Amino acid sequence: MSARGHLLIGLVVVLLAIALPFVFPINYVITQVTLLFVWGTVVTQWNLVYGVAGIFSLAQMALFAVGAYAAAMLAFYFGWSLWLAMPVAALITVVVSVLVGLACLRLRGPYVALLTLAIAQVLYLVIVNDTDCYTTEGSGCLPFFGGVRGLTRFGDMGFRDWLGQDWRLGHYFVALALLALALVFSAVIMRGPLGLAFRALRDNPGLARSRGISRFKYQIWVFALSAFFTGLAGAFYAANFKTIGPTVFSFSLLLFLIAMMTVGGIGTLWGPLLGALLLMGVDEGLREVQDWRDIGLGLLLVVFVILLPQGIVGALSRRDRGGG
Amino acid sequence: MSLDIIIQIIASGLTLGAMYAVSTVGLSLVWGSLGMLNMAHGGLMAFGGYAAYYAMNALGLPLLPALLAAILVGAVLGAIVYHGAVRLMLRQKAFETNVVIATVGLAFVLENAIQKLFGAQAQRQPLQVEGAIEVGNVVVPLQNIVILVTALLLMLIVALLLQKSRIGRAIRATAMNREAAQLMGVRVGQIYALVLMLAGSLAAVSGVMISSLTGLSPGVGADPMLKAFIICIVAGLGNVYGAVGSALALGLIEALSQFVLGVRFGFATLLLIVIVVLIWRPNGLFGRQQVTRL
Repeated sequence: MSARGHLLIGLVVVLLAIALPFVFPINYVITQVTLLFVWGTVVTQWNLVYGVAGIFSLAQMALFAVGAYAAAMLAFYFGWSLWLAMPVAALITVVVSVLVGLACLRLRGPYVALLTLAIAQVLYLVIVNDTDCYTTEGSGCLPFFGGVRGLTRFGDMGFRDWLGQDWRLGHYFVALALLALALVFSAVIMRGPLGLAFRALRDNPGLARSRGISRFKYQIWVFALSAFFTGLAGAFYAANFKTIGPTVFSFSLLLFLIAMMTVGGIGTLWGPLLGALLLMGVDEGLREVQDWRDIGLGLLLVVFVILLPQGIVGALSRRDRGGG
Repeated sequence: MSLDIIIQIIASGLTLGAMYAVSTVGLSLVWGSLGMLNMAHGGLMAFGGYAAYYAMNALGLPLLPALLAAILVGAVLGAIVYHGAVRLMLRQKAFETNVVIATVGLAFVLENAIQKLFGAQAQRQPLQVEGAIEVGNVVVPLQNIVILVTALLLMLIVALLLQKSRIGRAIRATAMNREAAQLMGVRVGQIYALVLMLAGSLAAVSGVMISSLTGLSPGVGADPMLKAFIICIVAGLGNVYGAVGSALALGLIEALSQFVLGVRFGFATLLLIVIVVLIWRPNGLFGRQQVTRL
């Protein structure tokens, strides 16, 4: 698709998103779509690592958590405004992500998945198993990372004072701006020289390296670049709900996001976002039959990975090019 | 450290290691011959545990038939994993990563199916051997000894199967070189199905063993599966005999560290060790460097 085509789709999506809360001024819809924007941001960045660069990292939710915890802790322990804490948290996430990328440097394929899973698990275990009181102010004994209950009372973004009843709209548009920036960011990377290098290393590492494309350099780049908006999304998530806990490490959330990318189309620009929209929709539809939700999610993932591994957008764009 | 404590640690360490070995061998076989990480392994373990539970509590079967029922269920589930998912995606270019996603999905289905069938609350595994023997001043439950002996027996059977039988030779040949084996008349598809069934039944047995010590819950396989992966990594993925040795070593280390450090950060430390091993030696401590032609 041409650059102009992508731009057109983007404009339509943004306009629809801007109009939505005025057409359906329902609190529940606004809250859920805000969450959709957050997951959309996460999967468009994850897609850079997994889809474009072909590195099967499962650490992305851990990075999301790093962003969320960093923002919450900066605000909680130092009394920072969340507006300052959020970008700083995103930068911290970039540093952590580069470390993860360095750790994965010599590994390939499924070994990367195992290593990143182990890293995420260690972070989770450290948070959950630490029961020593770091501070006893306020709500009693609180471990450094908040323990199982997580952190609360670190302030919010101030929309409640500013907009009163309509504070949800403030959160909604911040999330929309986040998603739009993340999409533009990943589009620019995918269509630029970096994206070319990532894809070359994914499709034919031997040839790419013999042509002078450094695996070291570009792997670090992709981990660093994809982390910024992931961390920012995490920080926003914490600010939005005014609480953050170890549930962000949950297996079902990880699966939910992987399913978004798989269903929508890994490695495509719009696939992950479309997947996020579809899965949030399916999730909403299955809310009535909560018990079946998880089984349905698992089966959906299996069916898609078998029958349509390139996802909906991938399949459509392939047909575009005449079965290519 | 007195002698009694040492005996205690060795006894519980060997039991843990034996259980880990049974589950790890299956995982390692599957990786070695199919080149896939089976993320549904923990789900198979849990299902095995519940199969034995159902056979004893609801059907009233005695101990051995209940164990056989668990093995059967494991084998059937292994066949389902192969024919329902793996077989259909073998030709995909991104098989290695897609199969991880597919089996993660299956694991999720299995865990939630158990929750729907048996409820989310923890149950006691009825497949137990009562009684204990005394070694010195230490009381060792008979259950631990039965687990150890069963595990060793199973390892022996698997080793004989791999080394002495025609099927075992075909499995080893497929693991070494899929195309060459195919050209020699090995039906690779059947071998794959067989390996997954074998791995499934081994997972089921280890699920029964583990749940007999920790109790049954839908997520009972999750931690043991992570440990099995750890063992596989240390041994080098696909290295079956290295996996058995590493499993026993890990069991002993775990028992020792629980005694010395306490349980709280034991697992996190273990995972940290894995991370370091993977960074330092990407093919595992005992794994050989894989040479891939481009």
